[in-house]
Amino acid sequence: MLELHNVCKRFGDRDILTDINLSIQKGEIVSILGPSGCGKTTLLNLILGLTDITAGKLFCDGEDLSRVPMQKRGFNIVFQDFALFPNLNAYENIVYGLRNRPNTSSQEEVNELIDLLGLRKHLDQRIDELSGGQKQRVAIARTLVMKPKVLLLDEPLSALDGIIKESIKERIRRVARQYKLTTLIVTHDPEEALTLSDRVLIINNGKIAQFADPQTIVNEPADDFIRQFILRQLNVKRSNILKLFNESHAHEIPQNTWERAGYHIHQAVA
Amino acid sequence: MSLMGNERKDLKILYVLVTLGLSAILLYPLGCVLMQSFATQGEEAGLFHNYTALLNQERFWVALGHSFTVSGLSALISASLAFLCAYGLHFTLIDKRIKKIFQIIVLLPLFLPSITYGFAVIYSFGRLGLVSQLIAPPPFSIYGFWGLLFADVIYTLPAAFLILHNAFYYVDRNFTIVSRLMGDSPLRTFYMTAFRPVAGALISAFILSFFLAFTDFGIPVSIAGEYSVIATELYMTMMGAIPNFGEGAVIAMAMLVPSIVSVVLLRYAERFNFRYNKLSKGDVSANPLRDRLFMGYYGLIALALLSVFVVMFVVPFVKQWPYQPYFTLDVVKRILSDDAVWQVYTHSVAVALASAFVGCVVCFVAGLIKARSNLSGWCQTTMDIFAMIANTVPGMVLGIGFLFAMSGTWLANTFLILILANLVHFFTTPYMMATSAFSKMNAGWETTGALMGDSWIKTVWRVIIPNSWSTILHMFQYFFVSAMVTISAVVFLTGARTMLLTTKIKELQYFEKFEEIFVLSLLIFFTNVFAKCLFDYLAEQAEKPNNTFFQSLTRTLNQLISKLWGRRATSQSLS
Repeated sequence: MLELHNVCKRFGDRDILTDINLSIQKGEIVSILGPSGCGKTTLLNLILGLTDITAGKLFCDGEDLSRVPMQKRGFNIVFQDFALFPNLNAYENIVYGLRNRPNTSSQEEVNELIDLLGLRKHLDQRIDELSGGQKQRVAIARTLVMKPKVLLLDEPLSALDGIIKESIKERIRRVARQYKLTTLIVTHDPEEALTLSDRVLIINNGKIAQFADPQTIVNEPADDFIRQFILRQLNVKRSNILKLFNESHAHEIPQNTWERAGYHIHQAVA
Repeated sequence: MSLMGNERKDLKILYVLVTLGLSAILLYPLGCVLMQSFATQGEEAGLFHNYTALLNQERFWVALGHSFTVSGLSALISASLAFLCAYGLHFTLIDKRIKKIFQIIVLLPLFLPSITYGFAVIYSFGRLGLVSQLIAPPPFSIYGFWGLLFADVIYTLPAAFLILHNAFYYVDRNFTIVSRLMGDSPLRTFYMTAFRPVAGALISAFILSFFLAFTDFGIPVSIAGEYSVIATELYMTMMGAIPNFGEGAVIAMAMLVPSIVSVVLLRYAERFNFRYNKLSKGDVSANPLRDRLFMGYYGLIALALLSVFVVMFVVPFVKQWPYQPYFTLDVVKRILSDDAVWQVYTHSVAVALASAFVGCVVCFVAGLIKARSNLSGWCQTTMDIFAMIANTVPGMVLGIGFLFAMSGTWLANTFLILILANLVHFFTTPYMMATSAFSKMNAGWETTGALMGDSWIKTVWRVIIPNSWSTILHMFQYFFVSAMVTISAVVFLTGARTMLLTTKIKELQYFEKFEEIFVLSLLIFFTNVFAKCLFDYLAEQAEKPNNTFFQSLTRTLNQLISKLWGRRATSQSLS
């Protein structure tokens, strides 16, 4: 549904993104993962239309959107800090766009969204009275009311803590499935990316390192970068948690030579 | 083609309008002054004739020297006094209420025109002055240097105080603890933790006080007497018995030079400021001796300030000062029943309100261009350049520029010219209030609004403005109070039919009608106090989370505009 052909982005003489080629299906949840400064937010902004594409093309449902202004593309975004309007309460924020395009969502559809995101009790509250998770859900509701063709999320979970993260993850997944909504999520957390999405796009230094489903990435990482940056993190976390719960972690054999040696030593000595 | 098309068009039009407008009322008049300075009459040779003629006159250099002396000295005194005032507010444990009262007293001079202090000082400390009679007359003549110095200190103290008071908020209290733990002597601790952090602000306060005193017109014209300064020289050359515009223009340029230097130095002094992001608001240590000393200090300053102002309330309410000091309301009644007084009062208030309204709009738009638009960096810098120039030009030079630029045109002797002069003269501070507030707002609002189908103007109207009420009110208040007390620019521009209270006071001086002068000053004072209280209250309301007043105000305005534009108000679901 969404296709990028040879997309490049330059700022002055710096190449931020080079040769981005990808194809995303309708209703897919795709995470864009990478270290800070790799260009993932830039990619999101390119797709949204906030920044211009230097070279290459962007297609949605076969239509070339490369030079189409942001407001006309039919995409929408939830920012990392939500950008809610403090002078309006939660409900007024959610229906803000309906003033301009009243027929986008009917009252029943708005109500359905409110209930799906569990916001019924918070509608009259002011924005500064809401918790982080509630603000996040209001921001998502506000975007969904406009029925975007593609939903973009910029680091949606980084401002949230522990349990709420899991609950928001669950809601994002539910929403995407229910509305068959193509969803792109920018994140720097591998665990988030690999557990939430259908496919993960890993960006390194402005290029695609790998674009595949989570299982493939974990079992067949495309290069060393992915092994070092992503899998090692996950393995360390995993063994820390297992140790915490006093379980044996003998099943995972490390790939890296040094770690393998360490592993064997550990086995010998433990 | 990103946030393209409509936003850029709207913004670009606004940008062009604002730039053209500001160029017309700021750059063009300045250009006229420059041109006039080269204008010669008849066959006198040389482009710089006016310059050489003036620079050869001793009176010019005497006046210039006097200006520097008195401004420099008063700035030094002001900055030092203000430093101690501000230090005491932050580093003592004096009762909060007393601190609050003192803050009000030290800011009182802001509500009066500077010309009034001159007269107030004379009537307090002159030979037959109130204080002179109650205590003892001063050993020197109040006319001339000493009166000028005293009045200038009063005039510049509030500005210096505000700078230092604000600077102390950024001082990290924990530094004191660290310094003590490192074994510093109390003097060294004071230097490192209280003096050094505000050194930049101290320099700024000094430079600003110098600039204010140097370019002020009201005080010299009331109390300088024989002690000539640049301001009086300029006025006499332009409006005296035999006006010499060419020479006046040169003096104006001469006044501009120290002003430019001041502003450049001010920006340089900014470098000494360090701003901490995470401040610890530690507690102040208990020290009763220190607290008592500061109380005494505050008492002295308050007494000095109030003693000057009290005369304003005394003179109009006695039969005839100083010979018949019996209380009576007759004098005040007589003056207030004069229609001319109320007419001039209405003029002043109307011009102040109009200046505030126009000023807010222009500064708001300029602030948006600078802080919340995607226009190129060059466009944004233009706004800053205007602000810098507006800040540097003394009121008198501005007034003269307007005079040269617009006399003979339909604008001369209108209220509009006064409003425009005020707009330019007071542009910078509200502009900075706006940019400061805008840069703190969430960066994603415009994009979000655009994605929801808003045009850029719509998002500004529906989101930016509702979240800026507090700032807008402060901007309005600043313009209003400043317009009520200003004299240096408008004295060249008011005509017989467009008199303002301040220029009327100047006229009354010629006729030596001092009771009228004080009554008019009281009118200005009470109007400003009322305006300040009103706008402070409204701004406070605007910042409250449940500011229903502003919500309903915005809604009513929305509905009005929808009706006017014939659009359907789609706000059924919104209460």
